[in-house]
Amino acid sequence: MIRRLSVAVAIAAFGLVFLSLAVGYTEQVSLRPLAESYVRLVPQELGAQNVITGILLTFRAFDTLGEVAVLFMVAASVGLVLGPTQPLSAEAREEVAVKARPSSEIVRSGAEILAPLIAIFAAYIIMNGHLSAGGGFQGGAVIASGVLLMLLAYPRYRLALDFLSITESVAGVLFVLAGVAGLIFAGGFLDNRILPIGQFGALFSAGAIPVLSMLLGIKVGCELSVILDSFRP
Amino acid sequence: MMELIGSILVLLGAIFHFSAGLGMLRMPDAYTRMQAGTKASTLGNTLVLAGLVFYHPAWGMKLLIIVYFVLMTNPVSSHALARAAHSIRLPMAGDTGIDALRDREQKSGGGT
Repeated sequence: MIRRLSVAVAIAAFGLVFLSLAVGYTEQVSLRPLAESYVRLVPQELGAQNVITGILLTFRAFDTLGEVAVLFMVAASVGLVLGPTQPLSAEAREEVAVKARPSSEIVRSGAEILAPLIAIFAAYIIMNGHLSAGGGFQGGAVIASGVLLMLLAYPRYRLALDFLSITESVAGVLFVLAGVAGLIFAGGFLDNRILPIGQFGALFSAGAIPVLSMLLGIKVGCELSVILDSFRP
Repeated sequence: MMELIGSILVLLGAIFHFSAGLGMLRMPDAYTRMQAGTKASTLGNTLVLAGLVFYHPAWGMKLLIIVYFVLMTNPVSSHALARAAHSIRLPMAGDTGIDALRDREQKSGGGT
């Protein structure tokens, strides 16, 4: 009884809190000064149709670099925690692979049909980052989902982890180099105007933003694939 | 008129989604729940997206791709889930008589 009463009191209190919020809410008619300057500056100076990508990859690209670094650390620590204490020998690896139950034919056929579609979709998301919703992070996650699908369909398949980590490092280094190039040739670190701005709204426009998106997508895709691989027995 | 047809299709899809949810709650074991969820939600999704085509004819191709994607992924994923459930011998509802996968595995010897 007391329990029910306290639950009812809690719900009523929450209701009061949300009611006061809902009553006090007035729709904002005009943008705040910061938002307004972003909305004005991104299409004008950076030539990006998608304001958010313009902010993420130019004005606050340093943050994005930090996020990628966080993801890299997550990949490294997941590998450290979940991985084997010492590298498996070739025979042990073979043994684990043989024990894995093969997937059924339907799953394999489905994966073969879907994997190219997923890759195309990921490329679309990455290359449209400066035009509409999308960008490197999201596209990289889609790439990793394709990798996960292949891992599910072919449990014995071994990812080329060395290749993935080298690709990821190269993409990261190129990202930082693009930032330094912005420092030298344009307004500051990770300025996108090192490449011509191009026509507003075209696929190849907005300076270096598509290139940066692509590098981010490759890097995030590789990192997430490595994380997924380390979840296997 | 077009919007009316679209609305009716979306409503039909919503009804199928509702029956999927109902099946999830009411079905006796994992396999039947899975098939209720998969079949009804695949058709429900298709109907909702078909209704959207009537609202926005310009989105037609993209919606067609989404329908294709759903038709490809939903059955495959539920097949994989059901096989996984079968291989860890998740119990079936009491009055299930036929288990074709077990029979086949026994016939081919070994089995898992």
